This record gives sequence, C-alpha cells and structure tokens, in this order.
Amino acid sequence: MKQHLGRQSGVQTVEVSLIDGKVQITPKEDGRIEPAQLLKATYDSGVSVAEMDLIARGKIVKDASGNLALQIGSNQSFAITPNDVSKTLEALVDSSSIVTLRGELYKKPPGKKKADPSVPLKLLVLEVLKKE
Amino acid sequence: MNKKFALLLLLGCALAPLSQPQIKHIEMRVEGMT
Repeated sequence: MKQHLGRQSGVQTVEVSLIDGKVQITPKEDGRIEPAQLLKATYDSGVSVAEMDLIARGKIVKDASGNLALQIGSNQSFAITPNDVSKTLEALVDSSSIVTLRGELYKKPPGKKKADPSVPLKLLVLEVLKKE
Repeated sequence: MNKKFALLLLLGCALAPLSQPQIKHIEMRVEGMT
C-alpha cells in the first residue's frame, strides 16, 4: 500500500503505522494532490479506509449552490459541511484571507465496506488553525 | 534603491511557495492492513 500511494501524483512521503493503522501522507511542496485518488489507491491495494483527515490552506468561497467551499488553487475545491466551526468562516467568503484548516474529508459510513467514488468528498471543518 | 528592490523581490520569491494554497498533510485511518 505504501508503494502504491507513493506513486500517486503530488505525493512526497508516505508513513504507515501498522500498530494503530494510521497512514500519514505528506504532499510535495508544489504538487497537487487528489484525496479521492488516494482513497481509490488505498482500496485498490486491498485496504479499506475508515477515516481521512487533512490540513489544508485555501480561500473560503461560495459554490454555485451557495454553500461554503474551501478553494485550494485554481481548480481544486472541497464543499464544506455546515457545522458550528464553519459558521465562523462565513465572514471570510470571497475575501483575500487565506485560512489553514484541519478537517475530516471522509468517514466510512457504518455498515459499508467501500466508499462510493461517485459521491464527492465534503470537508467537515474540525478546527481553524490559522487566518492570514 | 535598486538593490533594496531586488532584495525585496528575492525575499518575495523565496516566501511565495510557503503562502500558496495547498493541502499540507493527509492522515488516514485504515482497516484490514496486515
């Protein structure tokens, strides 16, 4: 699995802890990493993902349907699941502020063995680490 | 004056990658790993 993930575009290092089942992925400094691809690559290597968390920097925008989203670069964004933390980000919509967030991008639904690749990943903001 | 400007430009270029929007880290919890 480590080699499989390491071959994905934008991945710099992969650290696997067999004891607690944690996989740490560090993206390349200037690379674009695609979390959905990492999920697929993990499943393809015969392991199921229970949870995926990330730390990301980006701008808060509103998507076409008026929901908050984290814009990372020009062509990558994640819709934000509304919660108490995301309410604090409303004021930053379309401002030039860049925020660093820690959030949950995927959690395996109870009873399901595999993620549905047709469902886009949504970001549940757990913590706002920095506002610039 | 030009020297100061060049220094500022150099500093800006060095810091630019740090301020780019990007995914900094991903952590997964997996099941079924042997």
